[in-house]
Amino acid sequence: MIPTDLAGDTRRRAIDRGIGICMTGAAATSVVISFAIIAVLFRDAIGFLSSVDFGALSNSIWSPRLGRFGILSPVLGTVWVTLIAALVAGPIGLASAVFLSEYANPRVRRIIKPIIEVLASIPSVVIGYFAIRFIAPELVMRLFPGSPGKNLMVAGLGVGLLTIPLMTSVAEDALRAVPQSLREASYGLGAKKVTTVTRVVVPAAVSGLVAGMILSISRAIGETMVVFLAAGGTGARPTTPLDGGLTITSAMASVASGTDNVAGVGNAFQSIFFLGLLLFLITLSLNVVADRFVRRVRQKY
Amino acid sequence: MSIDTTQTAPRPTPPTAPASASQAVSTQIESRRRDLASSAFQLMLIASLMIVLAALLATLASVAPGGLEVLRSRGVADFIQRPFSIRPQQTGVYQGIVGTVTSALIVTLVAFPLGLASAIWIEEYAGDTRISRLINVVIRNLAGVPAIVYGLLGYAIFVAGPFKSITGGRSVLSAGLTLSVLVLPIVIITSAEAIRAVPSSLRDGGYAMGATRWQVTRTLVLPNAIGGILTGTILGLARALGEAAPLILIGAKQSGFSAGNWGDLTGDFTALPVLISDWPTRPVSQWDGVTQALILVTLVIILGINAAGIVLRNRFTDKD
Amino acid sequence: MISKKLRLAMATSVVVPALALGACAKKDSSANNADPATKAKADTSVSGKIVVSGSSTVEPITALVREDFIAQNGNVDISVDGPGTGDGFKLFCNGETDISDASRPIKDEEAQACVDTGVEFIELKIGIDGISVIAPEASPVKCLSFADLYALVGPESEGFTKWTDAEPLAKQLGSNTSFPDANLVITAPGTESGTYDSFVELVIESVGKTRVKDGKIAEDKIGATRADYSASPDDNSIIEGVASDPGGLGWVGFAFADQAEGLKLMPITKDPGGTCVEPSSATIQDGSYPISRSLYIYVNKAKAEQNKALAAFIDFYLDGLDGFVEAADYIPLEDSSTTKSLWTARTVGTQQG
Repeated sequence: MIPTDLAGDTRRRAIDRGIGICMTGAAATSVVISFAIIAVLFRDAIGFLSSVDFGALSNSIWSPRLGRFGILSPVLGTVWVTLIAALVAGPIGLASAVFLSEYANPRVRRIIKPIIEVLASIPSVVIGYFAIRFIAPELVMRLFPGSPGKNLMVAGLGVGLLTIPLMTSVAEDALRAVPQSLREASYGLGAKKVTTVTRVVVPAAVSGLVAGMILSISRAIGETMVVFLAAGGTGARPTTPLDGGLTITSAMASVASGTDNVAGVGNAFQSIFFLGLLLFLITLSLNVVADRFVRRVRQKY
Repeated sequence: MSIDTTQTAPRPTPPTAPASASQAVSTQIESRRRDLASSAFQLMLIASLMIVLAALLATLASVAPGGLEVLRSRGVADFIQRPFSIRPQQTGVYQGIVGTVTSALIVTLVAFPLGLASAIWIEEYAGDTRISRLINVVIRNLAGVPAIVYGLLGYAIFVAGPFKSITGGRSVLSAGLTLSVLVLPIVIITSAEAIRAVPSSLRDGGYAMGATRWQVTRTLVLPNAIGGILTGTILGLARALGEAAPLILIGAKQSGFSAGNWGDLTGDFTALPVLISDWPTRPVSQWDGVTQALILVTLVIILGINAAGIVLRNRFTDKD
Repeated sequence: MISKKLRLAMATSVVVPALALGACAKKDSSANNADPATKAKADTSVSGKIVVSGSSTVEPITALVREDFIAQNGNVDISVDGPGTGDGFKLFCNGETDISDASRPIKDEEAQACVDTGVEFIELKIGIDGISVIAPEASPVKCLSFADLYALVGPESEGFTKWTDAEPLAKQLGSNTSFPDANLVITAPGTESGTYDSFVELVIESVGKTRVKDGKIAEDKIGATRADYSASPDDNSIIEGVASDPGGLGWVGFAFADQAEGLKLMPITKDPGGTCVEPSSATIQDGSYPISRSLYIYVNKAKAEQNKALAAFIDFYLDGLDGFVEAADYIPLEDSSTTKSLWTARTVGTQQG
């Protein structure tokens, strides 16, 4: 027999139970949201696919309002933009992270970290404006005279700038997770700092660095506004990054914007759910892979 | 949107700069002959940081002079109180501010309680069960879903779907709810981190006094975690307010001709980032100045909210 | 202590946006207009609500009129929307809107829908929208016919990368324009834009119809241009794109093209061998420049009789008509007296042939 006073008074326990149920309900929302995303994407993407010929997807042009659904155009555009962004954000982000983690003293860190945080909090549409008003005329058109003012290169550089903070912060976390003992052992063997950093610390952190790279790529693939403003929006397949083009995301945004707006009828509007599903699956698998790498770091140390 | 760790709440600081012993050794070794490779390497690292800094400065410099000029000659009050006009010298960002601030309030009212409750459940109620692990995975993956996909979800659920009769379709209410869903995973993850950082001895003390789980959570855990929770929420909010893509998908007015007024939750709407995506497409010679002013106003609001979050974070971490 | 800190913290999280809200809450509903487009006087004795929808092309004009109207009379609540001409007529004939903006006359079946619901309308022509075909200033091309344009940008031109590629097709269509030996680089509005629709309707479809008759192309293909061109929602980049390439070609609204530098506004003739007409306010007004269309507003007659504010708004609209149309970058009517008398007499029905 349990003494009643130890169990507490019933009102108290009832409140506790009620609140527990509320919290469970709240946590369940996320599961509901996930299912909703998957359900919505699949439902409308399948609706779209069943309304077009499969052959239509191999068309040379993406222009949904004209009934042209050449999926390769936005996919190639995405590949170019992501590649350029990764080439910008990868090295710069990694170098910044190495500096912050291995070289900067606390005072320098206190100055530099907020600067990177400010960059991280600038809305992507503002970076898009910067891309068309600065990156295009001052960088791309100077380096590649004769290129159109808006192209995949301009967009890629803008997206790269946008993903630098993410790359920096994930890479920095990975470098700082490398145990101090490794550095000390390296110094103990007479290695210089540069050798220690490049031969010991960076290799030890490689899982985390790869994770950072994958997350940055995933972010670059999902970025919309920079590309929407700066890539040119041409539906033909791009052959070089200096062609105008669109990505999966900017193709979605341009279907949804414009004068006939969201009211757009027929499978032109539904096509964005197909693109959305594609985007969702790509970024999801990248994030899952990145998660694996992050966890490997945690297990290791 | 992926998990952006530059913007998360305070966490236990990882081991900082090299311990003094190793530092002493390394300086011993290096101090006499700093060779070329070392200097070149360090120079390269600094150059990379300089590129980041230069890009940031160039971004601000590309909007500040023109924007300030417009704000000075027009007056800030005039610019933020006027609705959209096709005459650039008379246009204003009133409707954009209405949309952005209203959706901020909706996000605060919806995502904050929901996210906090989820985080409490994960950390205090669930324990390490299969379901709680599943929910954890789900939330982490949600945080990596691109913003524009949330726009599709918002369109299918709030604009054209089951909630249309409540939200009025393409409305600021739909926008606020969509952004709430978008930031929810960020709020949950950062809040859970902050709650996890509360020492368990505190909880044990509470339970030893015979407190129920909720009493422990309310009186002991939350007051100690609130700094981190708030920071995460505010930074998440700032992130949500800068998003244009999901709002374009759910049908924000790109021009702002007929976008709404305060309190009009179910009518047409626009938001500051959506205006930023539209104004650069207007004749440059007349519109570039006001576009820069618009960006400046947006940056002040969003960086302001961010700064508040960062100040709060530093405040709370200093104390710990 | 039920955690004062918690409450305080929750409060601050609301304070940030609320502060921003407070800062802008003093907004005056009637924005003072320092610089109205016209000297038209609004009737300040009326009040009420007016709902306008319809063409996104006309939306800027009506929005401008609204702006100037409420600057003088803040008691009238006017909403202007621009989902498109067709959508606008649907709402209008359902009685949901008072005015419908239109960038083309009402179609028979749309008019029938209005008859079915008993909505009588007054059709008022308010201005003209002209589209300029543009090329770089140095372009050797002197004039293009509709047939040439069809050969260069029509649905059958897909894959043409040089101007000369289009020559055989243009010849087939009866043109003998000689095209330069240059790359064909087309930058033009995207399919979502009203300017795109107008161009297709006015140029491509008119030539396309004869192609369909000849069995050269399926009918469902002529409602569009070729798809392999640079589509941009941004007129600035269209102009940039066209001007920066010697073989550039594109089209934008006349007002936009007229202000830009480094461009040739291409003279156009409807039929090959006809008179080439350069776009200008005068040639668009008198109809000699062929790529133009009229803009309309449709007013619900019954509502105009009940709602004093609506009648006052239309009075104001027509009073300053040319000023509004010009301020919105369109071409005013050569003579707006017909429009005004249609309104004064409240003449019901469409004035189209």
